[in-house]
Amino acid sequence: MIDFIQNTLDGLTAGASYALLGVGFTLIFGVLRRANLSYGPAIMFGAYLATWASFSFKGLLLLAAIAVAGTVLAGVYVERLCFAPHRRGPAAAAMVASFAIWMQLEEFATLLLPRHLYAFPALYEGGPLNFGPFFVRVESLLILLAAVATCIAGWGILYATRFGIAVRAVIDDPRAAELSGINVGAVSLRVFAAASAIGGLTGFLIVASHEQVTPMLGMWSTLKGMLAMMLGGLGSLPGAIAGGLALGLIEAHSQWYLGPQFRDFIAYLLLFALLAARPRWMNTRSAY
Amino acid sequence: MLRVHDLVTAYGKIEALKGVSLEVAQGSITCLLGPNGAGKTTLMMTIAGVLKPKSGSIRFSESEISALPAHAIVSRGIALVPENRLVFPTMTVLENLHAGAYQRRNGFAEDIERLFVRFPRLKERSEQLAGTLSGGEQQMLAVARALMSRPKLLLMDEPSLGLAPLIVEEIFAIIAELHRDGTTIFLVEQNAHMALKVAHRFYLMEQGRVTFSGDPGSLAEDEVIRRAYLGSSKN
Amino acid sequence: MDEYAIGVLTSIGLLSFVAASAYLLLTAGELSFGQQGFFGVGAYSGGIATAMLGLPLPVGILMAMLFGAAAAALVGLSTLRLRGLHFAMATLAAAEMLRILFELFHWQMEVGGETVGPDGTQGFRGIRWVFERGVEPLGFLFIVYGMLAFMVLCFVFLERSKLGATLRALGEDPQLAGMLGIDVLRLKLAVVAAAGALAALGGALFAHHNTYIEPRNFDIMLGVHSLAYALIGGLGTVFGPLLGVALDLGVLEGTRFFQGYRMIVFGGLVALLLVWRPRGLLDERFVHWLRTRR
Repeated sequence: MIDFIQNTLDGLTAGASYALLGVGFTLIFGVLRRANLSYGPAIMFGAYLATWASFSFKGLLLLAAIAVAGTVLAGVYVERLCFAPHRRGPAAAAMVASFAIWMQLEEFATLLLPRHLYAFPALYEGGPLNFGPFFVRVESLLILLAAVATCIAGWGILYATRFGIAVRAVIDDPRAAELSGINVGAVSLRVFAAASAIGGLTGFLIVASHEQVTPMLGMWSTLKGMLAMMLGGLGSLPGAIAGGLALGLIEAHSQWYLGPQFRDFIAYLLLFALLAARPRWMNTRSAY
Repeated sequence: MLRVHDLVTAYGKIEALKGVSLEVAQGSITCLLGPNGAGKTTLMMTIAGVLKPKSGSIRFSESEISALPAHAIVSRGIALVPENRLVFPTMTVLENLHAGAYQRRNGFAEDIERLFVRFPRLKERSEQLAGTLSGGEQQMLAVARALMSRPKLLLMDEPSLGLAPLIVEEIFAIIAELHRDGTTIFLVEQNAHMALKVAHRFYLMEQGRVTFSGDPGSLAEDEVIRRAYLGSSKN
Repeated sequence: MDEYAIGVLTSIGLLSFVAASAYLLLTAGELSFGQQGFFGVGAYSGGIATAMLGLPLPVGILMAMLFGAAAAALVGLSTLRLRGLHFAMATLAAAEMLRILFELFHWQMEVGGETVGPDGTQGFRGIRWVFERGVEPLGFLFIVYGMLAFMVLCFVFLERSKLGATLRALGEDPQLAGMLGIDVLRLKLAVVAAAGALAALGGALFAHHNTYIEPRNFDIMLGVHSLAYALIGGLGTVFGPLLGVALDLGVLEGTRFFQGYRMIVFGGLVALLLVWRPRGLLDERFVHWLRTRR
């Protein structure tokens, strides 16, 4: 029982980062109706910039800002080159273009920092907190906090601001939004930047809590983010959060009961089974 | 007010508009009739800036607008009520109106009040999700939303489509009211009978071209209807 | 011809199968991130057939294609009504599951005094049927391109046939296709299975060329790459994916001074190319234009 609860705690805290990644993917998917395969690599780009800066500066806040700025820069680059030109055209072109830039961003990052592993300043220097027989890392709590704060801020923006109305309008029906006088291109760009900022922050939190950064960060973030987005039902923001948390839980429990090799297998199996069964909440209408 | 000259719009190689020319006089109600596939919606979408014309010109109040994107057209004072309404289904009625007023930023509370007077049923349902409204209510919402941008020219694409006869009469009463209040209206309609009752001028479009223009008296009504291939439309 | 050139040409040929497999699905209107899974199925079954069961290569290839088609059909049946990103993610999940299964797959046999067989993450060594029979790299190159030529012929034949037109109709507008009486679901299943068989064919040849395969060979990168080759080369003809592979491997491998910056250059060029030509270099318009010039 104790193991179950501990695993659940671990799963939720890992799931918080997946949820954030899922939210980023879903925001971009919502306004653009496309999956951005460069999302993870942009996060990696930001994290690598921060790592490179960490050789000279140690302030965590500064490094976080650099990670966010780097990711937003990469994100805007991707949006302008891969998504804006294909807004009315075939979706495959945008996604393949974003894959091409994935390769570009990864290579740039590895040119900047060629080794397989780099240390990153710790998010928190102390040990985990104990609650009776359970322990929770402070870093994980910080990530959970960041996830909750992002959700609240996001909700506030979407439902209480003029910009939020424009975003929801574009997500609902881009053509109707255009006719209402909303500049869909400008809104999409800003949402893309916001999603990149969230991604950059998430990336920073992840590498700081693991105290290391590797070239796998790009692919890893992309996979986890897309899985979270799809598990929660494509296109739904609350779904992405639920999907991310669920993914964390599934991984934690699968790993405990079945071993590390099955951890990923079960997650993929669940996604495949959900897609095959197509429950209504999965929103399996044509994605573009 | 609106002058379209030799407009050509194509989908790839296929020309939907083959050189359309027409005029909408300020303060009038102008109606565009024609069979399905004639290009009426394409024309509306081109004027609204959603589609880009291949050639030709669209002049609104003496300035050329054919190259402007849709949101810029709205800021010039033209609003389109599209075919199929296109309301925002997951947003409430009130939020839909807010979206329509996007360019106006603030100070449109008065407009909403006035619209609720004009469309009392929308006021009742102001917190309801637009996707759950009936067809007639959605049509009213679409019109109200377009009006939120205080357009000088209101474009309407088939406002009576799929609506019950009583609702259609309500819609046309609203059109007449809007005209009285000074809005210029350019209207595409299948329902020739109702449209000719309110229009000052009408155009007939077939296969991408304007084939006739005149005022409602200049051609016998059933001649018009026949020419528009509409069959019997005594509503 | 020097060995290096033969090596590059062989790689181009092998990757062309999996690129063509992605292309086939794209013309039918579906995006797949998972063809690498069937490439792997073909590699493992082909390798098992010759290295462990002692069967000749042609039989091994046939077996590979059969298993590839079967695996693909299984995936296809489960995902028949999915479209767009949902279908793409389902194929990704399936391919990753296959890869993890390869990581867990252990089957060793004594063959001629040696232990041979898939050994999980350690891979599968000793697939030497081709080289044990004295076939030189150049000879193998001819085998690969021979099969590729046969595949191209089949595609050309398909594209000029009614079935080919039906496929493209499906790709353009599945709803319309359905209304025209086309059995959309059955056709889609057939395409998915055929694409799986095609990828598997490439995989079997790949296994025999490398003599050693491991699960890591069949990861997501291969899948997304093959999709990219198909789209960049162009969706108008089967020569499109071939061109895509040739451009990536051939041109950039050949220009070694891009070493280290290869992806930065190539990635940027691809994105720019797609802005100009969203359906690839040899897209439908261009191919149509070429055909109507006679």
